[in-house]
Amino acid sequence: MNASADDIVLEARSITKRYPGTVALDDVTFRVHRNQVNVLIGENGAGKSTLMRILAGVESSDLGQIVLEGASIRIRSPREAAEHGISIVHQELSVLSNLDISENIFAGRERVRAVVLLDRKAEDVRSARALETLRMPMPARTLVARLSLGRRQIVEVARTLDQGAKVLILDEPTSALSAAETQSLFQVIADLKHSGVTIIYISHRLHELLHLGDWFTVLRSGRVVGEAPRSEVSRKWIVERMSGRDITQQKERSLPSTNTSPLLEVEGLSLGASGRDQAAQAPLHGVSFRLHRGEILGIYGLLGAGRTELLESIAGARRLYEGIVRLKNSTVDLSSIASAGQHGIVLVPEDRQRDGLIPELSIRENIAIGSLHGILISRADQIARVRKLVEELGIVARNLELPVTSLSGGNQQKVLIARCLMRGPSLLLLDEPTRGVDVGAKEDIYQILRRLASKGIGILFTSSEIEETRALADRALVLCQGRISQEFSRNEITDEALFAAASPVVATTSTPVSGVK
Amino acid sequence: MTTLRQSTQNFGQLAQTSARTILFLLRARAFFVLIALLILFASLAPSFLTPNNLAILSKHVAISAILAIGMTFVVLTGGIDLSVGSVAGLSGMVAGYLLTQGLIINGVAHFPPVALLILITLLVCLAFGLLNGWLVAKAGVAPFIATLGTLYIARGAALLMSNGKTFPNLGGQVARGNTGFTQLGQHALLGLPLPVWIMLALFGLAWTIAVHTPLGRHIYAVGGNERAARLAGIRVPRVKIFTYVASSLCAALVGLIIASQLEAAHPATGESFELNAIAAVVLGGTSLMGGRGSIVGSLIGAFVIGVLSDGLVMLGVSEFWQMVIKGTVIVLAVAVDQLHSRLQTRLLPYLESSSQGPN
Repeated sequence: MNASADDIVLEARSITKRYPGTVALDDVTFRVHRNQVNVLIGENGAGKSTLMRILAGVESSDLGQIVLEGASIRIRSPREAAEHGISIVHQELSVLSNLDISENIFAGRERVRAVVLLDRKAEDVRSARALETLRMPMPARTLVARLSLGRRQIVEVARTLDQGAKVLILDEPTSALSAAETQSLFQVIADLKHSGVTIIYISHRLHELLHLGDWFTVLRSGRVVGEAPRSEVSRKWIVERMSGRDITQQKERSLPSTNTSPLLEVEGLSLGASGRDQAAQAPLHGVSFRLHRGEILGIYGLLGAGRTELLESIAGARRLYEGIVRLKNSTVDLSSIASAGQHGIVLVPEDRQRDGLIPELSIRENIAIGSLHGILISRADQIARVRKLVEELGIVARNLELPVTSLSGGNQQKVLIARCLMRGPSLLLLDEPTRGVDVGAKEDIYQILRRLASKGIGILFTSSEIEETRALADRALVLCQGRISQEFSRNEITDEALFAAASPVVATTSTPVSGVK
Repeated sequence: MTTLRQSTQNFGQLAQTSARTILFLLRARAFFVLIALLILFASLAPSFLTPNNLAILSKHVAISAILAIGMTFVVLTGGIDLSVGSVAGLSGMVAGYLLTQGLIINGVAHFPPVALLILITLLVCLAFGLLNGWLVAKAGVAPFIATLGTLYIARGAALLMSNGKTFPNLGGQVARGNTGFTQLGQHALLGLPLPVWIMLALFGLAWTIAVHTPLGRHIYAVGGNERAARLAGIRVPRVKIFTYVASSLCAALVGLIIASQLEAAHPATGESFELNAIAAVVLGGTSLMGGRGSIVGSLIGAFVIGVLSDGLVMLGVSEFWQMVIKGTVIVLAVAVDQLHSRLQTRLLPYLESSSQGPN
């Protein structure tokens, strides 16, 4: 490494941040090297986003200090962060889609003439200049609602450029981008680096990180567990530190017999694309596969590949364009979630806050809510059944009558699984089964699912994490742009193979640096 | 081959033009409805377009337009202000009290001159705006609930000021030096009543704020995506408080104008005015979800409602039927608004066909 690589522009020193029930960051020191792409890696819930939100002034730390150019500073708001030259492009895009491009670039820091009037001309000129720098010229008065997700992201980067950002934080910038958009973003990052901007890059896509990064910092459960320059980093190095165990260790589970007739048969499932915004629906094209009793089938794919759409279609939550779903050799009526449920198909949704839990209700009520039938509720019977499930799944709760929000993320997820089990399913669908769950609870949930499978329930889950797919699946299907691109048996699953199968053809031009299985 | 490509190109252009036309017609629908109503009533009631009637009409419109202008800001941030009618009622009562009872200091009644009296009234109503804004922006009370509460508080306060009685004879007395209040509602300048001038001035001011100042842009930003606005460094609470204060001040002006026109202040004045104002705002194309709409639209909306109710009165339509018709128009307006936004997403590919190639 040359001398400039050791030049620290920004340092988060001994940062600690607690939330009720969890320690998000535990004495974390993160060094940012000048004019480099500083990569921050970690699994979901490792504390990456929390650390970045603290640097960007969105949240404040409980302990620790932030040192910029050798001087300790305080960052109390996004505005103050921007004044110090620290800007962030958030994971969930935060554009104002009802305004146009230059209005977005200058939101909150409008140019003014004659004391009070907006100087739109100056704003438009500077917006055009920033977009020009990013090699993405667009008319400054285009309504942002009309832009693709990738272009919205460019608008946010342009905003930070115009603010004169010295340190630019990109929080999972490619999670919603198409392959082509990702490529042009990488070009933009290279340009920015050359023009003297320091980048902090967060992602859990290893191939991207190895391609882009100069310095690597790994977070696990709120602690820094590794820090090294690119020359010392390999795929194995990252994965071992991220997961905290030797990756050659694998728990073996006897594979279910596949000689019997399949539990689930999906044939030619197709779904039309619709919507442009967050509510957008990715299309599915003729998806067909089978699932046997007691089998855990994983579906891996990048964002927008159609994972959620596939599960929700089978659960009866989407209007199918074409396709047949058979369960135990009889066709399932998928016109509604209720009818799919009656056939024994139940779904644990991806976003448990939005689509799963009912925060006002107690733990017991949240578990029982899917199984209320008839007119009168037999409370004693219900309590007994809920108790049994709570015990089975190891839900840690002092009292089942407490609100469900008093539980940790992992226990909340178990509550949702319990809700589904109470309905006596023969097929359990899980969309990102361990999203936002800490490492310990993750392993718990894997155990639960393995146990359920051994009882003969079919389990179909989707994941955007390779580690998870490998840890859990007996067999994996890779979904890419609405099509099943490849199928892997458990022994065939490797990082490289899954990535290659999941990436649209354009993206495979940047093949990841070869790593160790 | 070439002819086929040409014809598809022509078709593309045709589709684009017609898509643009449809969307334009929908966007300007309130204006077309207004023109249609004017033609309808002019042909059915010959005296509708006489200067005398138009003067009365413009006074009625001014009342709901002033309220609608203030309400537009609130609705643009995604809020709602139900208290405007009560605040208007309170405003008239404060003015009436000061004119007839005076400010009692050390047992002696002081009668403030009209300019000071208007100022005091505005300040009292401003306090209600601040209260609404504080409740919504700082205390986190839902706008509907917060302003429902202040609706009752302001109405109660208005009733308490006179024990429910009317303050009559607001002309003032020369001896007390407080004459001239009636000019506010009754004076005419260049043939237009003063309230209409007030409406036009407020419209100009509000339009400038909405379109040409950072504050206006912040209002749209807060309504469009509050979280993103906050992350962009916009002081969201301040923006919201401004909108509720603006709305209350508009309501105060309406209360003063009505008291001045009637030369009396009645505590029940302004009941259900908030509904008229909201109707005007919605008719003008402002989304109740916030972030989308315009001051111009609300002004046109207020005209539609004013013309509709005065026209129906002139045609001798019974009051009960008037309510049915007004309600129908409002519901239709919102339904068409939904159609508009859905069509907009549907027609988007056609609009962009010129700027981007296929693919």
